[in-house]
Parts: sequence; structure tokens; C-alpha cells
Amino acid sequence: MKFLSVAALSAALMLGGLEAATAQERGGIMHYGRYADSIFIEPVLNDANVDIWIMANIYETLIVPTKDGKGLLPGLATEWSVNPAGDAVTLKLREGVKFSDGTPMTAEDVVWSLKRASNPDNGIWNFLVASIDTVTAPDALTIDIKLKHSDPTILSALSVFNTAIMQKARFEAMPGDTDQAKAEEYAKNPVGTGPFILESWDRGATMKLVKNPNYWGTGEDGKPLPYLDGVTFEVIPDDATRILKLQSGDLDGAEFIPFARVAELDADPDINMELFPSTKVNDIIMNVRPMLDGKPNPLMDDKVRQAMNYAANKDALVQVVTYGVGTPLTSFMSASTPMHAGDTPLYPYDLAKAKALMAESAYPKGFETSILILAGNQDDLGIATALQQMWGPLGIKLEIKQMDNASRTALYRKGTFTMRTGGWTNDIADASQITSYYAYSPLIDSRHTGWKNEEVNKLYEASQSEMDVAKRTKQFARIQEIFNSSGPILSMYATPYPVALRNNVHGFFQIPLGNNIFRETWIAK
Amino acid sequence: MQLLSFIFRRILHLLPTLLFILIVVFVLVRLLPGDPASAILGDRALDADVERINRELGLDRPLYVQFFAFLKSVVTGNLGDSIHLKIPVAELIKKRLPVTIMLTVMAALIAVVLALPLAFVAALKRTKPADAAIRGVFQVGLSMPVFYSGLILLTVFGAKLRWFPVGGYGDGFLDHIYHLFLPALTLAFSLSAILMRSLRSAIIDVLDAEYVQFAKAKGIGPGLVLMRHVLRNALISTVALFGLSIGTLLSGAVITESVFAIPGAGRLMIESIYGRDYPVVQGMTIALAVLVSLTFLLTDLVQAWLDPRVTR
Repeated sequence: MKFLSVAALSAALMLGGLEAATAQERGGIMHYGRYADSIFIEPVLNDANVDIWIMANIYETLIVPTKDGKGLLPGLATEWSVNPAGDAVTLKLREGVKFSDGTPMTAEDVVWSLKRASNPDNGIWNFLVASIDTVTAPDALTIDIKLKHSDPTILSALSVFNTAIMQKARFEAMPGDTDQAKAEEYAKNPVGTGPFILESWDRGATMKLVKNPNYWGTGEDGKPLPYLDGVTFEVIPDDATRILKLQSGDLDGAEFIPFARVAELDADPDINMELFPSTKVNDIIMNVRPMLDGKPNPLMDDKVRQAMNYAANKDALVQVVTYGVGTPLTSFMSASTPMHAGDTPLYPYDLAKAKALMAESAYPKGFETSILILAGNQDDLGIATALQQMWGPLGIKLEIKQMDNASRTALYRKGTFTMRTGGWTNDIADASQITSYYAYSPLIDSRHTGWKNEEVNKLYEASQSEMDVAKRTKQFARIQEIFNSSGPILSMYATPYPVALRNNVHGFFQIPLGNNIFRETWIAK
Repeated sequence: MQLLSFIFRRILHLLPTLLFILIVVFVLVRLLPGDPASAILGDRALDADVERINRELGLDRPLYVQFFAFLKSVVTGNLGDSIHLKIPVAELIKKRLPVTIMLTVMAALIAVVLALPLAFVAALKRTKPADAAIRGVFQVGLSMPVFYSGLILLTVFGAKLRWFPVGGYGDGFLDHIYHLFLPALTLAFSLSAILMRSLRSAIIDVLDAEYVQFAKAKGIGPGLVLMRHVLRNALISTVALFGLSIGTLLSGAVITESVFAIPGAGRLMIESIYGRDYPVVQGMTIALAVLVSLTFLLTDLVQAWLDPRVTR
């Protein structure tokens, strides 16, 4: 008898323990340290990552990206289909969705939100849904979108933040004559369908989100999401201070951990040092116009650029600048981008080959040039100093010029810069955006470098309406082949999003596009 | 009466100074390469978007038109809206400037509390070990950069000992003071070193003065001699130095606000300059100029009280 009761007790304890290990705990406020404050939490008119990355917690889209950023999941729409011609999309809306103020979400809200997002007068993101021609709701739960032409990116576009669903009646009731004016009023107390509501915002200091009592999502325990009572963002621009607060337990999580501190936090038993895969690429952008500053431009020479690529040791750069956290790039776009092609690092280090190429070029003895880097940025300085040494043997004298972002952007946009450090993160899970900025010259002269390739331009234009996935993949593969071998970019390495969380934080993730997802986050007591 | 006309004359002098500052900041910030739209949009910027935003902001109008619009707005008290944050500049100033003022006032007070008594000790015990020790410690405080000393204080007294919060500003007046103590202490280090050295020299000079010898000869106790004769006279030059150091304090506040995550005007100013947020830079500069001028006026008044000969 005694044996049985002891056995039963141990079994009960064991099962109970097992359950506690996997069951989410509810309640509590998560304190998250950010490096900068948000600016304008508005889906259509925002223009900064600091807004985009937290918006999904307040506003939701019809389709939602998967954790790895490559697939699509139901969001406010539960099913969808694209017609064979690729120029019409039909979506079924999720039933019973309410806005945070209790008002039911209607088809009219969806129609209005999509029309507003695709209006070319509104903001800078409308190009993502430029193919939208008409949006109608044949019944309360169906949305019909007709496109101007076949658009293989439309489903991904419907998972991007600017197509988030807002409340039409509330927006139109806002004071103001322009969309901008109404949007500013609406953003003061944003009403979306997301798991959190903005409770208060002490600009530059703290932003408090609280759980949305009307949220439609349910957790693994069958009760409504989110698990947390709220999220409080604290703005701590200084990296050292932000990490200090995390280590002391005042913060539950902190973003943008400098690479130099990753190993230290990884070794900390109380901290979980996450390196979320990202779409972030780091590169050097070179001006390839024939003349620069009234003189012939050495960077215009293909062989010169190839030599510079071979002489730049990416593995060394990864060690020196990212402390081993980065990975050399296999294409100009990150490996997390759909339609990425290439499985070997670009231009493996080969100084002999680099010297041979320089000898064949129009500048066998080398030349003097300069690079524009961000003043006070440790990573940029590390990259530039390393390149200075790596290009020395080729006879290239590199002058390092430090300037603030706005000054550098002015030279960059004018196309009068020589070289600059650069990078990119995707805003959509598709290869088209990064390709349009980097390789498709009509948009911004291939990252303002003056590079142009007619075959690439034609391939890009074709890819914008090519519905056959195999054909489209081939088009992007060819674009990457041409651009990676003769483009104006020196692709260096990809870096993840370094986020440090305390050990008792679970269910938080950052998708490759950058969105911070708190929807299913919970904190163990 | 003489004091009143002195104050009045000083305030009158303020107006052309402010106008001059207005012109300088307006021109300077526009001389910087780059524009607000490009700064906002960054690498994603398309020409059409940049032109549209700059047009909406009125930045395509001729400079003199923009300047007169700016002057008009200052006179009517409307400082415009922040380009980046899309809220009125006046609101931003009202929110952020008091934070920096509180920080600098606390730093100034701490600096005085540190410098005053120790300057006396150092002066009275000059050339003895105590004097050398005091001067040595203050020298270290003077040479340590703010971001370094700040981080050390934060780590030891904030994160490890938990005596003070790890950065931030808090809620409510007393909570603000609690949060600002460590940053104010950090800021106070270099100022207290400067004040201490100046006051020590002034005290030494005064101690040797004839009227002090006379006071001692009359039989007045040493304490009274110190308070009534030495202190008042020694303070004059130090008060002037104190006023001039306000500028240094304010610029030190910028770094301190970053390290301690304080939502003050210093950080806002830097971010606005980087972002070419002209209305905020202009508005904040005027506010700071008025503030600094009033501080000078205040220190001049204190000097006048200490030494009425100044008002003539």
C-alpha cells in the first residue's frame, strides 16, 4: 500500500513537473531595451525600422510571414487563392475578429486599408502593392483583389506591415483635411487588431503596450493570447548601459547587442544570447561612373573591382569586425531571401589572383581613393581600416573619411561619392526589392553607383510579372550571376539580429525581416 | 534702484544677442550637407519621395522666405513642428528641457557642495598632505571622460550595489531626483575640480590680504573672519567662473543623457542635428540661449550682491 502511494505520488510529481516545463505561464510585463525610440506608429506613412519592427504587435496583416520569413501563414485572412493568370487574388476573412476598441473588423475596413496602402500619394511603401487595381468585397467575409498585371509578389506583399488593417470609420472621423493629418491623430491612440494596445508613450524614454482584451488569437492552453500582460519598451541608446540593465535583471531583453559582447553574454548562465537569422547584408558600395571629380574613375574598371574583391579577406573581416558572428555572403542578397542563388562565398581570398587582375587592369600600379564611413561607428572603422591594409599590396591607397549619416547620404544620392560602407535589410520576403535597389538601374542607378546592365534590367522587368516559380528562380539566378561577378558592390558578410534575453523569457522571436514578435512570448516566474 | 536698472539693461542686451543667435543657427544648420527628407528615408530614399517631402516641408522655397517665415513663427510663439516626430517643437522643449535643467542644477549643486568645503581645507592646509590629496583626487575627476566615469558609477552603485536605479528618469519629482543623482554626480566631477582650484587660489590670495590681517588683529575669531571676510571676497571670481562653466555643463549633459538613458534636451538636440530636423534645432537653440543668458544674469546678480561695485 505504502509503495503504491509513494509510486503514485512520484508519478504525479513527475507528470506535474513535466507539465510545468512545457506549459506557458501567463501574466507579467516584459521589459525590453531598445537602442532608439519609435517615431510614427502608422502602417502606411511610417518610414523607419524603429516603427516597422514593433508594429506587428499592434496592427495585423491579412497574411503573416513564418518564423523563417520564407513562408506564409493565415493572419486576418484564413485562406486565399490566386487565379492561374496571376492577376487576381481572393481571400477569406477570419470570422469574429475585433479591433482593440471592441468594434468588429469588417470587409469594408479591409477594402479601405488596402486601397489606402496602394495609393501612390500615400507614403513610401505603396510600391510594394502597386499592382493592385481594384479591391472589392462580394460578401462580408470575402475580399477580391484585381491586379493591373500578374504579380508573383502579391501574397508576400500582403504580409508586409503597410497592408495592415486599420479601422476605416475611426480614421475618417479623425480631425484634419489630409491623409497625413488624420493619420497623425489616429496614431495617437492606434486601434488595430493586434495582441497589444499602446497604453502610453513617454517619448525618448518608455513606451508601454498592454494586452488587447479583444484579441482573436488563442494560446496553446486554449485561452486568449497574449500570455504577457504587457510589454514596456525602454529607450537606452548606450550599448553598455543597455547590457548592464539586462545583466542586473531590470530588463528582460535587449536588442542590438554589439558583436564584441556576444561571447560574454553567451557565457552568462542567466542570459540567452539569441542570434536570429536576418536578411541583413553588409557590403561596400563603389561608384563606377567613368568620371569622378573631373578625373577618370579607377573603380569603373571591372578588373580593378574584381581585384579589390579578391584581396578583401571576408573571413578576416568576419573575425575582426563581427567577432565571428557574421557569415561571408554567397550573393549580394542574404541567403534568407527567397530566390537567393549561390552556395559558395563570393570571391574567396586570393591575393595572387588580385595582383594578377590589377596588372591586367588600366591601373597596374594602383591608385588613390577614399571611403566614406559613419563617424563614431566602430564597425565601419574596423571594416575601413582592415580594407586599407588588405588593398595596400595592390597599390591602392585608401583614405578613410568619417561623416555623419545625413552628410554621407547627400553625397551618395548625388552620385559624387567614391566608396562607402553599406548594407540592406529586406522589407518584403521576396528578391525583388533588394534587386530593384541594387541591380535595376532605372530605380536609383543601382544604389547610386551608375552601374547599368541591360540584360539585368530586362530580366528584372520580366520577373515582376512571371508567375512560373521555376522560370522566375532562373531569372533571379541569372541576375545574381551577372551582378555578383561584375557589379559595383563588394559583398562582405551577413549578420544576424543579436538579441539577449534573460533565461526565463520564452516564445520571443525576431523574423528575418526584422519584426519583433511578442505575440506568444511568456516569462517564467 | 541701481540694481533694478542694472537688471533692466542686461535684459535689453539679451534681445540683439538672441536675434544674432537666431540668424546663426538658421544659417548653420542649413549649411550642413543633407536634408531632412534624405535623413529620414536613408538608403531607401527615392528621388520622388525626397522631393515630395521636402516640398511639403517648404524647404524648396528661397532661403530668405524661409527665414522670415521662421522669424514670424518665433515672434508669434509658434516654433513649428518637428519634422521627424511630427509633434510641436514647443511641446518637445517643454517636455525635455526641464529634464536637462534639473540635471544641470543638481550637478551644479553637487559640484558646489564638493568644491566649497574642500577648497577651504586645501587652502588653509596648503602645502600639507591634505592639500595634495584633495587636489590629486579632483585632478583625477577632472581628467576622466564622462562616459567612462558614468559607466563606472552606474555599474557599481546601480547594477551591483542596487543603491541607485540603472539609468532612466522615473516618475514623480522625488523619483526624478533619485534617478538623476548618479548622472548629476558624474557631471559634477569636472566642474567641481575647476571650482575647487579657482576657489582655493582665491582664498589663498584673500587670506594674505591686508583687511584679513586687520580683522585678525582686531581680535575677531577665525571662524567669523572666514565667513564674513574671506568667503565673500573669494567667491567673486569663482562665481564668474561658475557662470561661464554652464556651457560646459550643458554639453556634458549630452553624453550623460546618453549613458544614463535620460530623455533630456541634450540627446534630443544631437538626434535632431543628425536628422536635420531644422525646427527642433532652431527652437531648442533659442531655448538654450535664453536659458544660458538668464544664468549669466543670475551669476552677475550674485556677484553684484557680493560686490556692489559691479553694478556701476
